[in-house]
Amino acid sequence: MRSAFAARLPLIIALALVPVRATDVGAQGRGARGAAASPRADAPIDLTGQWVAIISEDWRWRMITPPKGDIVSIPLSLRGQQAAEAWDPAKDEAAGEQCKAYGAPGLMRGPIRMRISWQDDNTLKLETDYGTQTRILRFSAAAASPQRSWQGDTSAEWLVRGGGRGSQRYGSLKTVTTNLRAGYLRKNGVPYGERAVFTENWDVHSLPNGDRYLVNTNVVEDPVYLQAPFQTAIHYKLERDTSKWDPTPCDARF
Amino acid sequence: MRCKVLISVVCASTLLACVAPASAQVELGGTYAIRMYEDYIERGPGSFLGDFTGMPLSEEGRAKALRYSSSLPSTIERQCLAQSPWVGLYRPLALRIWSEHDESGRVVAWVMGGDYLRDTVRIWMDGRPHPSANAWHPSSGFTTGHWEGDTLVARTTHVKTAWIRRGVGIPGSDQSTFNVFITRRENLLTITTIQEDPIYLTEPHVVSRVWEFDPRGSQGPMRDTCNVGVEIPPLEDTGEVPHNLPGQNPEADYMVRTYNIPREAAMGYAHTLYPEYRKTLRSTYKPPASCGRYCCGWIERQGLPGAAPGLTCNDGNLPAALRKTLTSPEP
Repeated sequence: MRSAFAARLPLIIALALVPVRATDVGAQGRGARGAAASPRADAPIDLTGQWVAIISEDWRWRMITPPKGDIVSIPLSLRGQQAAEAWDPAKDEAAGEQCKAYGAPGLMRGPIRMRISWQDDNTLKLETDYGTQTRILRFSAAAASPQRSWQGDTSAEWLVRGGGRGSQRYGSLKTVTTNLRAGYLRKNGVPYGERAVFTENWDVHSLPNGDRYLVNTNVVEDPVYLQAPFQTAIHYKLERDTSKWDPTPCDARF
Repeated sequence: MRCKVLISVVCASTLLACVAPASAQVELGGTYAIRMYEDYIERGPGSFLGDFTGMPLSEEGRAKALRYSSSLPSTIERQCLAQSPWVGLYRPLALRIWSEHDESGRVVAWVMGGDYLRDTVRIWMDGRPHPSANAWHPSSGFTTGHWEGDTLVARTTHVKTAWIRRGVGIPGSDQSTFNVFITRRENLLTITTIQEDPIYLTEPHVVSRVWEFDPRGSQGPMRDTCNVGVEIPPLEDTGEVPHNLPGQNPEADYMVRTYNIPREAAMGYAHTLYPEYRKTLRSTYKPPASCGRYCCGWIERQGLPGAAPGLTCNDGNLPAALRKTLTSPEP
């Protein structure tokens, strides 16, 4: 009898470890809810709703269009600086490129309201009133779009922590955007190029009073116009009153 | 029977040992390099006097900030006044974090030092309660924390009345509280503070910043202490404490004069922080003809091209060799 137990010992320990192993896997990806769960069902945080940017940082560069040549705080390369100094909004308008400051890396830092919703079980949709833009965040693999666009192609994955054996489940969203059309990091023509890669980590923080804040920690990497990764954190607050949603078209000047 | 018990104990112990890390913490210890890609002027050369943009100030907060003179913190008596424990988010140097352990090796506190000038911020992780509302307010306040996934969630109370932004006189009262969220993901550290102050703010003031892990600890020095020196003629010689009388701050309109910013935005009214305010400016705002001061960051300030890693600007007479190092590769 004793030897039978001894023989089963490795199996018993292995079975005991199975749920733990699932939690660890979840810590790296889809979570502990099984492979069949969709990203929507598996979401460790709720990003849906209407979020408003609080312009409590860099007000003079985000709320209004700064003068040409004001490139302070952005790690531009010499080529980037030269491009910024050549900014000509009339030229952009003539070329039909009024939305150059509304591409994903510039858009998220703008004075925006954004509505996030599930387009389907594998896709988050992010709409902004500022510039009337739409970003699509895809959890499933998709072929690159044939043409570059202001919002590019965005792949998404949940980063999940906890959730095993009844413990609280936490997480965040990581997205990577490529295939961007060249645009502006700042309304006054501070550039990013087509080779830019925009990586974002999305965290939701809740206060005891129920207020919820979304913090987007992001990095713009551009081998042409930046000499170092441009790293910032942008914060938004969830709005229960959605009446201030006010779509406006792109504007190359204001 | 004894064998069954033994096996059960082994399994349970193994399970507990493995489960624990799932709800555990992220290693925060180390040095983090500053990345001044937001609010550069406040964190670098220092705010322009009269620049309260981005702040939700109350009338009391605005009035107190307008009494500020840049000579005020230079008085001997005020050089070591406490600053907000989270003023580091408006400071220009690196951040250092380390842990303190009990005898069993458990983390009792995370300690944040570096560019806070007056003290370290100690985040107690051992579950102790906040002290009574009537307890002493140390210069670093009192902070407790717990982990929620990858985020250390902290709350700071018991702070002193202190300036909360650099060099511009924006005050925080000793009734301020801070909800703080610290997330390390790979090499990036994000700190978000949400300050509530029933005296000087009309709504929570939110700041979020990024630092980058610096394994060489190359940015420094760490400054946790305050040294007093004679910076301006002392009170006994002049008989005057630097100040501005109400309504007589000569820089109250600096941002209006220099950047054509509406006075209500420069003076930190909360409604100017939201997108709908921008639309009210469409027909009135005219950008200044040129950028003015601090368009380019450290180079302009120090007169040394490339003096600060990662920032460059108009190269002027930049030597060819240096220009080459700053120029990005061809696409």
